[in-house]
Amino acid sequence: MLKGLGDTVKREIARLGSRRVYLWGILLVPLLVAFFLVDLMSTGLPTKVPTAIVDLDNSPMSRNLTMSLGSSELINLTDHVGSYHEAMQLVKSGKIYGFFMIPHDFEEQALAGRTPTLTYYSNMTYFVPGTLAFKGFKTMAVLSSGAIVETSMSSKGISDNKAETLLQPVVIDTHPLGNPWTNYSIYLSNSFIPGALELMIFIMTCFAVCEELKRGTSPQWLATARGSLTKALIGKLLPQTVIFTILGWFLDMVLFKYLHFPCGHLGNMILAMPMFVIACQSFAVIICSILPNLRLALSISCLTGILAFSIAGFSFPVENMYGSIGIFSYILPVRWYFLIYIDQALNGIDIYFSRYYYIAFIIFLLAAVAIAPRLRKRCLNPVYVP
Amino acid sequence: MLKRIKNWILDLARVMRRELTLSLTDIGVLLFFVFLPLCYPIVYTLIYNPEIATNIPVAVVDDCRSTQSRELVRMTDATQSMNVIGYASNMGEAREWLKSKDCYAIMHIPEDYSRNLGRGQQAHVEFYSDMSLLLRYRAMLLSLTNIQLETGAEIRTESLSPLGIVGESMSGSPVDNVSFMLGDTEQGFASFIIPGIIILILQQSMLLGITMMGGTSRDRKRLHGGRDPLSIDTSASASVLGRMLAYVFIYLPLTIYVLHFVPTFFSLPHIGSPLQYFPFVLPMLVATAFMGISLQILVKEREMSFPVVVFTSIVFLFLSGLTWPRYAMSWIWKGIGDLIPAVWGMEGFIRINSNNATLYDNSHCYWMLWALVAFYFMTAVWTTRNMRNR
Repeated sequence: MLKGLGDTVKREIARLGSRRVYLWGILLVPLLVAFFLVDLMSTGLPTKVPTAIVDLDNSPMSRNLTMSLGSSELINLTDHVGSYHEAMQLVKSGKIYGFFMIPHDFEEQALAGRTPTLTYYSNMTYFVPGTLAFKGFKTMAVLSSGAIVETSMSSKGISDNKAETLLQPVVIDTHPLGNPWTNYSIYLSNSFIPGALELMIFIMTCFAVCEELKRGTSPQWLATARGSLTKALIGKLLPQTVIFTILGWFLDMVLFKYLHFPCGHLGNMILAMPMFVIACQSFAVIICSILPNLRLALSISCLTGILAFSIAGFSFPVENMYGSIGIFSYILPVRWYFLIYIDQALNGIDIYFSRYYYIAFIIFLLAAVAIAPRLRKRCLNPVYVP
Repeated sequence: MLKRIKNWILDLARVMRRELTLSLTDIGVLLFFVFLPLCYPIVYTLIYNPEIATNIPVAVVDDCRSTQSRELVRMTDATQSMNVIGYASNMGEAREWLKSKDCYAIMHIPEDYSRNLGRGQQAHVEFYSDMSLLLRYRAMLLSLTNIQLETGAEIRTESLSPLGIVGESMSGSPVDNVSFMLGDTEQGFASFIIPGIIILILQQSMLLGITMMGGTSRDRKRLHGGRDPLSIDTSASASVLGRMLAYVFIYLPLTIYVLHFVPTFFSLPHIGSPLQYFPFVLPMLVATAFMGISLQILVKEREMSFPVVVFTSIVFLFLSGLTWPRYAMSWIWKGIGDLIPAVWGMEGFIRINSNNATLYDNSHCYWMLWALVAFYFMTAVWTTRNMRNR
């Protein structure tokens, strides 16, 4: 009974060792991508956005403002330019991501109560630096107007204490749950690394299964499994399941233990990994069963694997996508893994709330079991279509 | 001498013709060369086209239950980004809603909210936000800041006017501030990411197609005892240039479609002049073609192009600085990014397309692209020679 399975596993391990592409696709690529993402974003937030100041006033007040702007932790004043036009030129050549403009006679008008206007420009073609520049500018503009109000109020006999509350009568304290530092690595590494893992599982599963069809070795493969397609598939994919799972656990350890990214229930994440790997393999088996051809199966798995990064809602919320598009995010295993990550690691809530996500993984497996028998006929008569 | 030059040019033309026939008759390559650039930009834009996160469900725990607190909730509900789904009786209940994803944030108004306002003390409101998506958090934060400033200004005017301090300004502040967003003025997600993505699609689809052709040629070689019957015997330079011309020729109409029509279809930012961005992308296409020919050495069979090339899309997306800006990268990643045509292509195209920059403004990117053309031409000639000698 188990004989066919054991033989197939042995045969597969020999195959994995015989070709460098397996080592590359199963181990090196996921590790490289993970290392790349984690190292790239190791500082957490790309602060010190290059920006410029256009000071048309040149008064003590405007110089003071420039100085406080320069000491902001978000921005880095790289240029002092004399006109809007010059600053715009710097934006267009990509040297700065925004600039702050202090108008003529700023000090005079502010003290006379004639309400001068501070303007600031943020280049939103690059979201993150644009947003950070905007944030830095806005804070400075609000603070500086606050400082002037405070002076003018105390000159009118309002106590400093009272003036301060009048400046900001209502304060909305935001508490970002789980990621109070708005660390980009926590947010991006935790979604893009599983995404890369999914992509490589898709590719390597399709490669391993359909390669047999291309080379015409599939009858031999079936024969090793004593003619049972189930055993043949399990035997073929089990070694990869084990390697990918261990790799996934290793990456979990790197993220949650070495980098100390928030993780409420590590045990539940450990549980999710083998289920995620098997769900991805099942997805790939479904593709292979529908399109039993190496090139087509790989094409489809790559197209979906790459689209997954966008459609699984890592950055743009699925609820805000068009309904007919958003629905596709749920056919991808990584969407469910991402939801589990949010619940179990980032927010650390009870596993009860994630129960359906775990069940979804099992449904992928069941779907694969239902459709895989189609492969059998093709395996017996392998035809290579380039 | 003249004859040799003539022969070289003839060879080049023959290589180009052969390569065009080979790629246009190979359905697998056509999928990359034509289907991908035609459909992917549309699919991506459709995904991101709603542009912004709107109506994010928010739960309110109002322990104050006063006119002022209700006013605050109404203001929250009236923002574009947030939608108050209801009052929870206490934090416990609201937290349950958060856990079952009925809401993504909780606004807690404490008991002393209106009392503090009335006494002229600072009133605090607590806002707890789910952090699974930064886009959601960012949208809510922006609205909250506006609410805070607006409420503040109202209250300030109310309490200052009886003291005789009036006419400071409409907003109750002596200095106005106005913010301008450049490029992506609506701060939409599609408007931000699509101009970059379409350049990456051009490069990646071309690399995939070229490496697949290289793998197919090696498959043929294996079948025919070490020689590809469909290859043309000529100098490496003619072979490399001829193939490059074929690929760029196929890509010219697609580039017009991708760079001009896609942003127009979806009314994405598109204020750059075609006279600026077409000349700009040309060296990128040429460099990509040479890069693809160089990468053929890694692809030993037709289908190997997938495991070798596909994953690089993720890496290149990050190297381009679209998500993590290039100024914040370590020298090593910046250096690797410098070698990727699409990194320079995206930088320059985004600025020309969305900021209305000119070719001159982007001369650095432009010259870097030509430097890459030279670099990858040399590697392509080297790999072509190397592969023949095997």
